[in-house]
Amino acid sequence: MRLVVGEGSCGLAAGAGAVHTRLEALLAEANPTGVELGITGCNGMCFLEPIVDLYDDEGALHRLVKVQEKDADKIYQAVTTGDLSLVDGLCISSEDAEFLSRQTRIALRDCGVIDPESIDDYIAHGGYQAISKILSTGMTPEDVIAEIDVSGLAGRGGAGFSTAFKWRAARNADPGEDGRKYLICNADEGDPGAFMDRAVIEGDPHALIEGMLVGAYAIGAAEAIVYVRAEYPLAIVRLRKAIADATERGYLGDNILGSDFSCTLRIKAGAGAFVCGEETALIESLEGKRGMPRLKPPFPAQAGYWHQPSNINNVETYANVAWIIVNGGAAFAAMGTENSKGTKVFALSGKIRRGGLVEIPMGTTLREVIFDIGGGIRDNKEFKAVQLGGPSGGCLPASKLDTVIDYRELGATGAIMGSGGMVVMDESTCMVGMARFFLDFTAKESCGKCVHCRLGTKRMLEILDRIVNGKGEEGDIEKLEDLCYAIKDGALCGLGQTAPNPVLTTIRYFRDELEAHIAEHSCPAGECRELITYYIDQDKCIGCTACARQCPAKAISGERKSPHKIDPALCIKCGNCKTACRFGAVQVK
Amino acid sequence: MSIKYTIDGVEVIAEPSDTILTSATKAGIDIPTLCFDARTAIYGACGVCLVEVEGVPKLLRACSAKPQKGYVVHLHTPRVDRARQTALELLLSDHTGDCRGPCKLNCPAMTDCQKYVGEIREGRYKDAVSTVYEAFPLPASIGRVCPHPCEDACRRKMVEEPISIAFLKAFAADKIEADGNPYVVQCEPETGKRVAIIGGGPAGLTAAYFLRRYGHEVTIFDQQPKMGGMLRYGIPEYRLPKAVLDREIQIIADAGVKMVNGVKLGRDVQFDALRSEYDAVLLALGAWKSMNMRVPGEDLAGVHGGIDFLEKLGLGERPVLGERVAVCGGGNTAMDCCRTAVRLGAKEVYVVYRRTRAEMPAADIEIEEAEEEGVTFKFLTNPIEFYGEDGHVTGMKLQIMELGEPDASGRRRPVPVEGATEDIPIDDVLMAIGQGADCEGVDAELLTQRATIACDELTFRTAYDNVFAAGDVTNRGAGIAIQAIAEAQKAALCINNYLEGDEVRAQIPYFVQREVTPEEFEDRPKQKREKMPGLTPEERRDNFEPIYFGFTEEQAQREASRCLECGCHDYYDCRLIRFANSFDVHPEKFAGEMHDREDVPVVSEVIVHDPDKCVLCGLCYRTCDQVVGKTFLGLYNRGFSTVVNPMVPDEARTFCASCLKCVEACPTGAMRSFPAVERVTQLV
Repeated sequence: MRLVVGEGSCGLAAGAGAVHTRLEALLAEANPTGVELGITGCNGMCFLEPIVDLYDDEGALHRLVKVQEKDADKIYQAVTTGDLSLVDGLCISSEDAEFLSRQTRIALRDCGVIDPESIDDYIAHGGYQAISKILSTGMTPEDVIAEIDVSGLAGRGGAGFSTAFKWRAARNADPGEDGRKYLICNADEGDPGAFMDRAVIEGDPHALIEGMLVGAYAIGAAEAIVYVRAEYPLAIVRLRKAIADATERGYLGDNILGSDFSCTLRIKAGAGAFVCGEETALIESLEGKRGMPRLKPPFPAQAGYWHQPSNINNVETYANVAWIIVNGGAAFAAMGTENSKGTKVFALSGKIRRGGLVEIPMGTTLREVIFDIGGGIRDNKEFKAVQLGGPSGGCLPASKLDTVIDYRELGATGAIMGSGGMVVMDESTCMVGMARFFLDFTAKESCGKCVHCRLGTKRMLEILDRIVNGKGEEGDIEKLEDLCYAIKDGALCGLGQTAPNPVLTTIRYFRDELEAHIAEHSCPAGECRELITYYIDQDKCIGCTACARQCPAKAISGERKSPHKIDPALCIKCGNCKTACRFGAVQVK
Repeated sequence: MSIKYTIDGVEVIAEPSDTILTSATKAGIDIPTLCFDARTAIYGACGVCLVEVEGVPKLLRACSAKPQKGYVVHLHTPRVDRARQTALELLLSDHTGDCRGPCKLNCPAMTDCQKYVGEIREGRYKDAVSTVYEAFPLPASIGRVCPHPCEDACRRKMVEEPISIAFLKAFAADKIEADGNPYVVQCEPETGKRVAIIGGGPAGLTAAYFLRRYGHEVTIFDQQPKMGGMLRYGIPEYRLPKAVLDREIQIIADAGVKMVNGVKLGRDVQFDALRSEYDAVLLALGAWKSMNMRVPGEDLAGVHGGIDFLEKLGLGERPVLGERVAVCGGGNTAMDCCRTAVRLGAKEVYVVYRRTRAEMPAADIEIEEAEEEGVTFKFLTNPIEFYGEDGHVTGMKLQIMELGEPDASGRRRPVPVEGATEDIPIDDVLMAIGQGADCEGVDAELLTQRATIACDELTFRTAYDNVFAAGDVTNRGAGIAIQAIAEAQKAALCINNYLEGDEVRAQIPYFVQREVTPEEFEDRPKQKREKMPGLTPEERRDNFEPIYFGFTEEQAQREASRCLECGCHDYYDCRLIRFANSFDVHPEKFAGEMHDREDVPVVSEVIVHDPDKCVLCGLCYRTCDQVVGKTFLGLYNRGFSTVVNPMVPDEARTFCASCLKCVEACPTGAMRSFPAVERVTQLV
């Protein structure tokens, strides 16, 4: 029997560490034979963490979910006695299991399966076969690029640019006297609600290393760098170990696997600027400068790190590479749509029943992801919108649920594929507030270099601020639109050029909500504090006093067992009462 | 190998190293940019150099984009204009400062007071006079008589008293004349176009001067024996010696302006004839009719129009007045009348004014000096009847008034106190309650209901294509000389545009302005305004001798040194304001949070950075890094809070050699050095 605890950051945050420690203590004490305890990364089912995978002696998997420290004894009993019925209550429901079974996992193929801290486990699961194949069968860099070309792999960081095209450009670029080329991995994952890159590094770091090795071989780089945000300490630890292990085994360093190909890999921790996810700003930061974008052209393939030809892809892109080399580009291209091949990972979050990481073939509809895999909206509420692409993306309404996941199709809606953030909203989410949230993010994360982004996002935010505060003016929507288009045309980098997208899609799909804020000073979703009033439905209130006890402003009065009232003059609109009420008596107008 | 492409239809040749911007610059095509300078690496921050290329989906930054063979580049498309204009408006929406000082902005003629005051401080008197001449001619005359709205706006009054701007102007003009180095008007080559100006007052003379400068043939026709209009016939000798006026009119005549006197429109020349004979006609007839008070007894002998009275004096007559003279009105003409009456020997001179001293439109100094000369002010009184014997006035009945609610002008309206009247015996009355135009000889089609000439506010054009109007005669009514001059200056520009076949409209330039509070000047050492030396009241009350002697040179320089230099020192080199005015900006639409930060000494006493004027083009710190090889400056913070600051502590900054390259490179007034350096932009 084998117990594998899911110990990605998400699992650890939910308490997996305590479960592991307890299991370890119990096993150490009794030291039963035939019971192993191991770890794995995140399998994507964040909504069920902590997760313990129990493999029985036949190798069959029993997935135990929402495992608490106190459950460890029960699990210990089950594995030591062999009576697995003891943990029946912890087993994943068949409905929840659909979350994984409906997915097609390539980038995440080993995440939540293998031990991320074991190179042997990676090798046992077919790891390093791609680089071995290349170096042993004499595939030239051009052959490798051609294979990637066949796969149709496109940049998963957001822009969706052809990976083969970029590799070829870097391959063909003249490195000049210096002679060096660089391969860089962008692991500065910064979109709010996106965490697939972290999951890959924490759960399958060798997959990233191998993908980068293939890339380095293809473009002719002897130095590879992973630029990872410092807020991912676990990822950095696991990647560092993986690099050390791979170097020790001869997968990194000089004359890899006895070939002429040499490549080192190192980590550079980013200091937390969102804009450093933009490739040229990332390069500036790598060079030790302030993280601000450079003008393109020249593209990094021509003049990147230290002005040498450089290739930058993101984590998910590299994570697909080894699979493509082993299984062939055609197998990858067989999945997806005409314009978008393969699979894409989405980080599903928000008011969804089953949130987590989802990898599905391109061409799947948003509806399938949200309702079939994600299980639809939580708490029996209505679907209102889905936010794609984070601060660079947009919110799509129910009418767009049948849009297929495809770079072009999503782009046509005004949202973008982005890095794969998918935040689901229900009827209680104010779309104006949502647009304001993302703009607040970009305005704060603007590096300050170009005028359109530095001041344009600030002024847009001020307009949205006054709208959500009930001080919107007629003409504000038009003013916003005008600014949006000017910023899209004038901003220097992707951050600024896409910053207006959340606002533009809100104007496009939720204009009536914006107009209600401006013309009627009302927030239809009941979320904008300045525009709402809390009151207690006298017919529903039973006088349980729960709300009054939670009210920090002492704004609620009433006798026990008789309906209560909120004094709007005292109410600070914190919403505690609404959360506290179990009878739906606290309402907002 | 070089390639060819076009910008706005003009063929441009680009070398392989060229960008669109550098190849355009070589071809003489101006592409605006704030952040590009060929001495530093391409940066691309400002977003002002955006261009649209046919077939290219994105707008391109001309500073970085390499032209391709056959590119069809457009500098102005709706997309480019929106993006560029937005960039400028966004920058200006967080740009705090004063492009120009309040003195200049408050001068109707937008005279660059700060500049000429500075030139006087530095002893550059000829330059100072030339600066005035950029706005109008007649500096010595106007400097003596102008009620100086510039001084009303002067911020020095928050320290103690305003700068004596008007007298400084007169000083400079007198000084170069006395030095035998008078101003000479430089004219453009002859255009062959002919302009007739009716009226040789401040408006007519100003328009004539500018039109002559533009190279047109100009003739002024005036009804009086000599040129000068109200300056000569409305302002007494003791305030404006006519020799000074003559000398300044001569400068205009010397420029080639033809002056024809004793010619009255409708009598000696006909409007239609002028219209057909000249390419353009400017009506600058002035306002020569004294307004009536509509009070019984106004037709009695001894009741005179104030302006008629002054005109007689100007013509050399010496009107005879009785011992008791009443002047009705509270403006500068009333002051001229009462002080003249004193000088003509009247024993008792009253000024009858229906409000209080605080509401008097006359300049304070005029009121003070009139009082010194013995004039009695009867405030809150209003004549309701003149009465007399044998057809000659002998007295007037005054209604006692009190101040009520403020009226449309913001002044408290005088209202009669029921039943309270006062009688005073008088021998003569001078009515100075306002002046109207006399438009005899002008086609009725051009007149307003009030019998002034109707003309457009921005084009100064009348109902007839080639007929313009300026000064007191227009629908705006009579005002002070500098207002008439301001109109004439703009009208001359419009006439010139018209003669050259361009759009006629006068542009109202955009300026950044800020609010100030007296607290800002609390630490300024006080230095009193220079007192103008002149005659004592006793010395001056029985003659028409000029009452002021003018500043001495020491006084003038001391006075000029009090200037706070409110206007941006970098106005003439500032690319931001130049672009703002080329691209019709409206930054008010982006009104929001604005920075208000302290100036940062980069190198104490030598280089100072004003972050509120900074456009974050990065040229200062990039120049320091890439051109000088130092890194004394750098960017701090992010987003809206991004700011250029010294990168090293104070002590380390002593290693800065103050090469001032950062100051030279700054496209606005954000980097400032003492002494100032010229800004240098290098586009290729």
